[in-house]
Amino acid sequence: MASAELPSTPALPALPTAPLEIPAATVPVTVNGMRHSATVEPRRTLADWLRDDLGLTATHLGCEHGVCGACTVLVDGDPVRSCLMLAVQARDTAVTTVEGLGSVAAMHPVQQGCLEAMSFQCGFCTPGFLMAITAYLARREQIAGTQSAGAPSDDELREALSGNLCRCTGYQSIVDGVRRAWEITSESSGA
Amino acid sequence: MQRFTGTRVTRVEDPRILTGGGLYIDDRQPHGLGHAAFVRSPFAHARVHSIDTAAARAHPGVIAVFTAADLARHVAPIVTQGPPGMSCPRFTCLATDKVRMVGDTVALVIADSRAIAEDACELVEVEYEELAGIGSIARALASDGPRVWDELEGNVLYEEQTTYGDPDAAFTRAAHTIRETFVQHRITNCPMETRGVIATYEPGRNHFTYIGTLQGTQMARFVIGSALALPTTNIDVILGDVGGSFGQKTSLGHEELAVCAAAKALPGRPVKWIEDRTENLSVGGQAREETVTVEAAVDADGRILGLRLDMVLAGGAYPTSSAPITTLVGTLARVLIPGAYDIADYSFRHRAVFTNKATYVAYRGPWAIETWVRERVLDRIGRELGLDPVEVRRRNLLGADAFPHKLPAGPTLSGITLRSALDKSERVADWAGFRAEQASERARGEGGKPGHPGQPGRPGRVLGLGVVSFIEPAPGPADYGPSIGFNVPPERAMARLEVDGSLSVYTSQAPHGQGHETTLAQLAADELGVPMSAVRIIHSDSRTAPFSMMGTGGSRAATVASGSVIGVARAVRDQVAEIVAHMLEANPTDIEVVDGVARVKGSPDKAMPLAQVAMTAWLAPHYLPPGRDPGIEATFDFRAGDGGWTQSVHSCFVEIDPETGVVKVLRYVVVEDCGDVINPAIVEGQIRGGIAQGIGEVLYEHSAYDDDGTFKAGTFMDYLIPSSMEIPPIEIHHVDATVVTQEVNFRGVGEGGAIGAPAAVCSAVEDALSPWNAKVLEQYLPPSRVLELMGVIPVER
Repeated sequence: MASAELPSTPALPALPTAPLEIPAATVPVTVNGMRHSATVEPRRTLADWLRDDLGLTATHLGCEHGVCGACTVLVDGDPVRSCLMLAVQARDTAVTTVEGLGSVAAMHPVQQGCLEAMSFQCGFCTPGFLMAITAYLARREQIAGTQSAGAPSDDELREALSGNLCRCTGYQSIVDGVRRAWEITSESSGA
Repeated sequence: MQRFTGTRVTRVEDPRILTGGGLYIDDRQPHGLGHAAFVRSPFAHARVHSIDTAAARAHPGVIAVFTAADLARHVAPIVTQGPPGMSCPRFTCLATDKVRMVGDTVALVIADSRAIAEDACELVEVEYEELAGIGSIARALASDGPRVWDELEGNVLYEEQTTYGDPDAAFTRAAHTIRETFVQHRITNCPMETRGVIATYEPGRNHFTYIGTLQGTQMARFVIGSALALPTTNIDVILGDVGGSFGQKTSLGHEELAVCAAAKALPGRPVKWIEDRTENLSVGGQAREETVTVEAAVDADGRILGLRLDMVLAGGAYPTSSAPITTLVGTLARVLIPGAYDIADYSFRHRAVFTNKATYVAYRGPWAIETWVRERVLDRIGRELGLDPVEVRRRNLLGADAFPHKLPAGPTLSGITLRSALDKSERVADWAGFRAEQASERARGEGGKPGHPGQPGRPGRVLGLGVVSFIEPAPGPADYGPSIGFNVPPERAMARLEVDGSLSVYTSQAPHGQGHETTLAQLAADELGVPMSAVRIIHSDSRTAPFSMMGTGGSRAATVASGSVIGVARAVRDQVAEIVAHMLEANPTDIEVVDGVARVKGSPDKAMPLAQVAMTAWLAPHYLPPGRDPGIEATFDFRAGDGGWTQSVHSCFVEIDPETGVVKVLRYVVVEDCGDVINPAIVEGQIRGGIAQGIGEVLYEHSAYDDDGTFKAGTFMDYLIPSSMEIPPIEIHHVDATVVTQEVNFRGVGEGGAIGAPAAVCSAVEDALSPWNAKVLEQYLPPSRVLELMGVIPVER
């Protein structure tokens, strides 16, 4: 189509040659129980802020477009892709990363379950899986309330894990790890 | 006294990996870091007329901007070494006159942050003149088409043809001749951690430090040394935790070399590049794009008399910086195509061609095309002759009494148990039960066709079973290396009994998920007689690794790293026995080490903890046997013996939804012989992971380009890797291990899953589609292709 046929339109304003300067914002966030008041560029993602500014490098970036789930953290208990959330959006929330889940000396049941099932290989996707599994088991318990929800089925576990990608394992060992984590949690709550 | 080997010991790596303590490349944040980002070509093929970096250089926070011209005095062109006859142009790590693939590196920006570097990349003005691109083998071979390299005659990088026996005579005897062209699509390794590097040049001591993501440490020193004109010994290569590779991180890419050159140009400043996912999917390295035309001469009973194979491999625009993988894959496929089948007479032609695509790299079982094509041919024979596909395999497999058997291309097969694996598969996978179910489902359908495309609710499920059998060199026998052109040196391990009685073991392996810190510690602990906690496996650092150009890859570690570690731990134990025997006035052969204590057999009161032995050896050498040097250190070189073949039968069960063409893998059963198992959980994890990749390769994954070379799969929304919903539980059964090499009877399992699964899935889909007489000649089987094969939608070409 020739441009002459188009009605004339007003000239667009020239695009800036450098990104717009938006002032940095100060954001109060609690991370793994520690209160931070962060001054961040508005475009900074939660993942970059955790990794680069706080030095919490366990949260990994696998795709930075919200598919692989390696960067999953808990924001007020909900699993969130920290590559898709801006740090400023975490204002007044409580963020949990795998550094806040458990320690080598005192593992969280999810970590212990995955240790016993030998769930992972290269370990890069692992923090995201651990946080997603933690959220899944907590939500399951919450829904069940005081009633025991019973052991999760294989299908339920596979669906629960389907938002995170692993390239090493074929997933079976991770399914086994979650089941083991559920057993550990049930044993301790039953005791 | 075997305590750890053979058991499911939890992994040494896991406490750190599960608590966020892993140290991956991007977790390192040294002071003063410069962050790299690349200006990349949006075109598959274009002439570069000008690059204007002025605005980028002026951008606040930018440290430096480099084009090929700027880097020329810091880095030499890359020349890949290859076999005689390989046409290999010199190339530079940033484009000069032309760009040759989407994502080709044009300029490099170093800035105070990655975000600023990316901002500045947007400010680099590049004037391109787009050229016709090559996105297919046909276009690469067209005599009048475009050329990737102007200085070469055509686009053929390498060509070879070899004939074994007398295939022509086989065709004159043949009762049947089958001729098909099989097409394997391009995929990518897709480790969850992308590539990355931190490079630092210290001019004061003319020293270079490369911290990166690789599968070995030593080869990189040579590549960097020749590129930067630095002595190899002044280069340290250090790898931390590496988040998977699957062959992709074997060689340094253009980006890593450009970052090295930038670091050399910015002395004292560490420079970091972390590949993003789009970069990884588009130029991180891709694999497997091959087309093979096969003619098979077959007798009246379905036995293969001879083969003629003509393979073309689409190698992308640039060779890798080290191993010539596009020629090697042809060699490997030529040597391995017979598998354990009785195929003596065949010819194999291999051509590798340049295309305007990403670099072809090694991928888990780089030669897998041979298993896929051979197993496809065996299935075609079954269909043509009306034979059960498993029966075709049984008729063609070498007899149990045939071993040792020399393959036509040289390597010796021994300890082959595929016939027992088939028998066991028949039982544990219950083929007969599935066949009965399949027959009854087909009988419910109209005209023997279960379901009915386009008519929802018609009865009958579309079920299929694929059974394939194959062997893999893991690591192969001693005569395997020479038959593929490599004289593989022995694998060295070194060890030191530390002053506290613990054992440090140094290996040239560079694990990136394989769990070597666990398996090698299991072996060393058993051999020395100490708890696993007393063993540390030290790897992935060129300053300490025994020299080896290979690192981790090729399913070799289970045999060669194990053998070297067992040997070196034994040598340490022998030294301990010698010293303790002297101190306790006993015979060295009467000394045993149990749970970290050396003692005289039968005299429990005559004992010394290893800490005391080590302390004596290092600090009080006057107690040692006269003339003995202080300390306890050992070196051991292990050379693999006969055998070395891991063998598997895969049974894949699928159901196809005739409405959508979606293939669901219902069940997957592996029967394998990998010798003795060091840690069952690690072996199973390797096999399952490989199969998951093989399933993904057939049903979901495609590094798609159009005919001009425009790339179409740069995100995880276009390049689909399977999730937990797509991979079924995978059952693994071992057959009683054949013992070929008594001492070290562990064999590799890293690649077999990815070699066998594409063949098994395609076989199962073809079986499911047999009522439609569909031939599966292309490995990529997304729903649209399945609907084409069922005649539901027209074939798109």
